[in-house]
Amino acid sequence: MAERGGGDRGGFGRGFGRGFGRGRGRGDRGRGGRRGGGRRDEEEKWVPVTKLGRLVKEGKITSLEQIYLHSLPVKEHQIIDTLLGGRLKDEVMKIMPVQKQTRAGQRTRFKAFVVVGDTDGHVGLGVKCAKEVATAIRGAIILAKLSVIPVRRGYWGNKIGKPHTVPCKVTGKCGSVTVRMVPAPRGAGIVAARVPKKVLQFAGIEDVFTSSRGSTKTLGNFVKATFDCLMKSYGFLTPDFWMETRFTKSPFQEYTDLLAKPTKAILLENTEVVET
Amino acid sequence: MGSNMNDVKSLQETNLDEEGDQEFELEDVDDGDEEEEVEEYVTLGLVEKPKNPKFLLRHLFPSKAGGVPAWLDPVDLPQEKLRICGFCGEPLQFLLQIYAPISEESSTFHRILYVFMCPSMSCLLRDQHEQWKRREDNPCRSVKVFRCQLPRCNPFYSSEPPKRDGIDKPLTLGAALCSWCGTWKGEKVCSSCRRARYCSEKHQAMHWKSGHRNQCRQNVNYSETSSSSPDSSSNRLPAVGKVACSTLWPEYEIIIEDECAFDAEAFEDNNCATSLVPKNMKTDDSYQFMLDKFEADENKRTWASFQERIAKCPKQVLRYCRDPKAKPLWPLSIGCPSVANIPKCNYCNGPICYEFQIMPQLLYYFGVRNDPDSLDWGTIAVYTCSASCGSSISYKEEFAWVQLYPTAPMT
Repeated sequence: MAERGGGDRGGFGRGFGRGFGRGRGRGDRGRGGRRGGGRRDEEEKWVPVTKLGRLVKEGKITSLEQIYLHSLPVKEHQIIDTLLGGRLKDEVMKIMPVQKQTRAGQRTRFKAFVVVGDTDGHVGLGVKCAKEVATAIRGAIILAKLSVIPVRRGYWGNKIGKPHTVPCKVTGKCGSVTVRMVPAPRGAGIVAARVPKKVLQFAGIEDVFTSSRGSTKTLGNFVKATFDCLMKSYGFLTPDFWMETRFTKSPFQEYTDLLAKPTKAILLENTEVVET
Repeated sequence: MGSNMNDVKSLQETNLDEEGDQEFELEDVDDGDEEEEVEEYVTLGLVEKPKNPKFLLRHLFPSKAGGVPAWLDPVDLPQEKLRICGFCGEPLQFLLQIYAPISEESSTFHRILYVFMCPSMSCLLRDQHEQWKRREDNPCRSVKVFRCQLPRCNPFYSSEPPKRDGIDKPLTLGAALCSWCGTWKGEKVCSSCRRARYCSEKHQAMHWKSGHRNQCRQNVNYSETSSSSPDSSSNRLPAVGKVACSTLWPEYEIIIEDECAFDAEAFEDNNCATSLVPKNMKTDDSYQFMLDKFEADENKRTWASFQERIAKCPKQVLRYCRDPKAKPLWPLSIGCPSVANIPKCNYCNGPICYEFQIMPQLLYYFGVRNDPDSLDWGTIAVYTCSASCGSSISYKEEFAWVQLYPTAPMT
């Protein structure tokens, strides 16, 4: 242990052994003993910082739907990684340089738009601006993972096979751009412009008719309008939702008298009791 | 300069004509991550299972988390009122201690900071309100920090550094500690066997229920047959791992690393990435709409920079920086203390400054359960007296600020 001066052999005036607060020593930069091989390990291993992260890492939460059910905020992108795993694909939609005027000229940064999705009902959209393109893309991917939403799919006519289109006509708006999605019969494919088509493919919608209005040139707004539209797919009240909801305990909520009817065994607390 | 400004204005006008003469758009809005923050020299603490629990005894001046504390001054331990949680009255549980000497002063040659916490989340939630109170209102806390310092020549330890060869010993025997928690001073004695000591009635009850009831009678018999009293027969080394309580947090050693050692290597080549920028970019006049939930609000921005900073070393549990200009790394922007919220030192009335903060990764290493009522925090920032004042009390109380994550919204 090549310590500078002090350390085990009796440092005058700096205590014995390794302690915190060694003053203004900036000369320790060179010490990279733990880098290289060791560092790769540390990068891959995720230490959760939030309680939800710890629950996911333990394996108590196995699907994203449990998180959606209780509207829990997802703060760590590794949660999505663990739950959706390798199925998640990402794509950079656009890199846009933006500039700011400074006294010494212009300062250019890059804005990256990234869409992630597992082509089976989950999409996310991330926007990040950074000085370097790679940083922006990396940051945008993380933000996209944090914003993953579920997409509801339904049928156009006969309920045969798997759902393939949006369940009803929905519309989303962002800025001046409005995007309207209309259910389509099987085989119609995604009838949309290049930009929303990509998002819809990631979402796992196979057939849909779309109609857009406004300044769709602005890619940012166009993509966000489609995303907003997809978000509303689960917000639309259809007759199958008419049945009364039975509330289950959220993993964070203290049991109160209001939630009086415990039902299905996806209660995390119940499974814990069974195990012990 | 003037002509430049005119150029800027003309650029803005042609933006509206949406013609692709210029490739770049202008950005009026200032993003938060513009300023280059001066990186302070931060030291990180990581936890590791100790190679040998003997290395975590007090005469080796350890930095450790969980288990029992290694009291620096083994005799003058904190008094009754300081040991208990202000809300539930239970004795506090040991969280961690760090060895943080200050080399400039001789009175702080040895200096250890101890953090104690009540393991109940409901107490921590109530503590949140207490920390905002002014000192005159006598807030009761469930998180307590103690500071103890000794000069190099002191009656408890040798003035030479320990050789770490297994035969180091402290100079004096410490005070007897509670048999149940092993943390606090055992002032009360079990009335029947007179061997088990306790810091409080609650611990005596717990120990009785979980085995002392049987052991007690045997202790009485044993002490009748053997003549020597137990205290003098034990050697000077404090016992390792002889605590009856099973709910103490697992013991770890805190390894100290510099944050700059983890600085990320250079990013991948930008050459391949910039080719993604297409040749003719149309102007985009709706950049102001970018500022919404996909980008940031204040809380999210703070969280994003927090994540970025800890990503350098995801295993860190402690961040230490005693620089006067240092600020803690807050995970959220709500619930941060302002200058007025930080009180003055209890003892010398001087200013107190930030010294270190405890990160939530520690909960993961402690294996804390993730029930609705189990412990969870965003960060705990510890502020200590800038002058590290001395006084007649061995263990001086310092100030801790807890930032919790906001509870999840009800569906």
